[in-house]
Amino acid sequence: MNPQLEMLFNEPEKAYLRSDELNTLSRFVSSLPERINFYRRLRNEELTLMQAVADALEKQFSQESEERLKRSLQNGILILRCAAMAMLMDDPDFVTKRLGAWLPDIVAAYDIQAIDTALYQLIKQHLAERFTSQQTALLFPGITSAQALFSPEEADEDEDAGLTSETLVSLF
Amino acid sequence: MISVADLLADNRLPGNYFASDVYIRGTLEFGLLENRRGDRLLALPDTLLKAIVSGLSNETGQATWFVLRNCGFWWGKNFYARFCEELSEYHQTGVADLSMIDFSQALQECWRTNGWGTLQLNVNHHAQGFLVVEVQNSPFTVHSLQPNQPSGALEVGVLQAFFSQLSGRDLMCVQTSCESLGADRNRFILGVANRLQSVETWVQEGRSHDTIMQQLIE
Repeated sequence: MNPQLEMLFNEPEKAYLRSDELNTLSRFVSSLPERINFYRRLRNEELTLMQAVADALEKQFSQESEERLKRSLQNGILILRCAAMAMLMDDPDFVTKRLGAWLPDIVAAYDIQAIDTALYQLIKQHLAERFTSQQTALLFPGITSAQALFSPEEADEDEDAGLTSETLVSLF
Repeated sequence: MISVADLLADNRLPGNYFASDVYIRGTLEFGLLENRRGDRLLALPDTLLKAIVSGLSNETGQATWFVLRNCGFWWGKNFYARFCEELSEYHQTGVADLSMIDFSQALQECWRTNGWGTLQLNVNHHAQGFLVVEVQNSPFTVHSLQPNQPSGALEVGVLQAFFSQLSGRDLMCVQTSCESLGADRNRFILGVANRLQSVETWVQEGRSHDTIMQQLIE
């Protein structure tokens, strides 16, 4: 859940919640039906949405190996699912908490930054075509924080550069 | 044509199994801290680690390092089995079928989430048959075992056992830099024993990791 909301529940022993705190809670609760509806649609339309994205991605990267495109798409699906969950909980930090340290290294190690960058644009574009701007406004913060995880200016020195998709067993 | 339905078949979407917000949990009313599949976790106080080191030093003197490394072997063997079990359960595939990237990412995340510091695998010298494991913020090297010598005996044990099991070969592990001696991170070189024989002596002589690495690959 949104950390600000979570904090509301932390110290019942200190005081009853103030009006502004209860308002924060009310706002979240009254936005829930909309969030749940949107979440349900995302769930039901995941396959068609992501297939459309996959087709567009394949067209854009026609020279690219299928293996790398697949891996990138898996990341895309994962990020969309995490962003949807973040939207449900009203917690844009959720994506960073869940994928923060892991995703940038995976993307760097598979060397799919360029594909992923294009992929997120495509995902956003296809979402914008299907859903209202109010709905996408709920979802985009999660996707944007995932993008920020491996944007070039944020990227660390690539320490996994030498890793390949072979198994570790072959090292020695 | 890539089929998204195929990518999603069998719920095999790779994710971060060791994400800390979901990996660490517990039945706290019973005093149990647990991981996500219900194995018990322990929070180890630093004072206890210090006490173990000082107790061993008093009782066994110079054998302290070897005792701790043996403990590490034991830990590493079991850790490897449990780690593989968890990963294959989660990915619904044998560990042998995971790519090196997914496997090493999982290992790094596991290390981090358990509070053992941040671990990186450096494979720059893998063509020469060496793997370098780098750990920052290790809780295990804080207390020195012998003056001016690396103190990662437990980690040497755990890494040696882990990677020996993984590769199916008897590997040796030598620590070549240590946070307790002012290095920015602990570094451990792994390789087959006959190629690392001299390294322990070089470390005792105080040679730096880079110098040692250079000498190894020459």
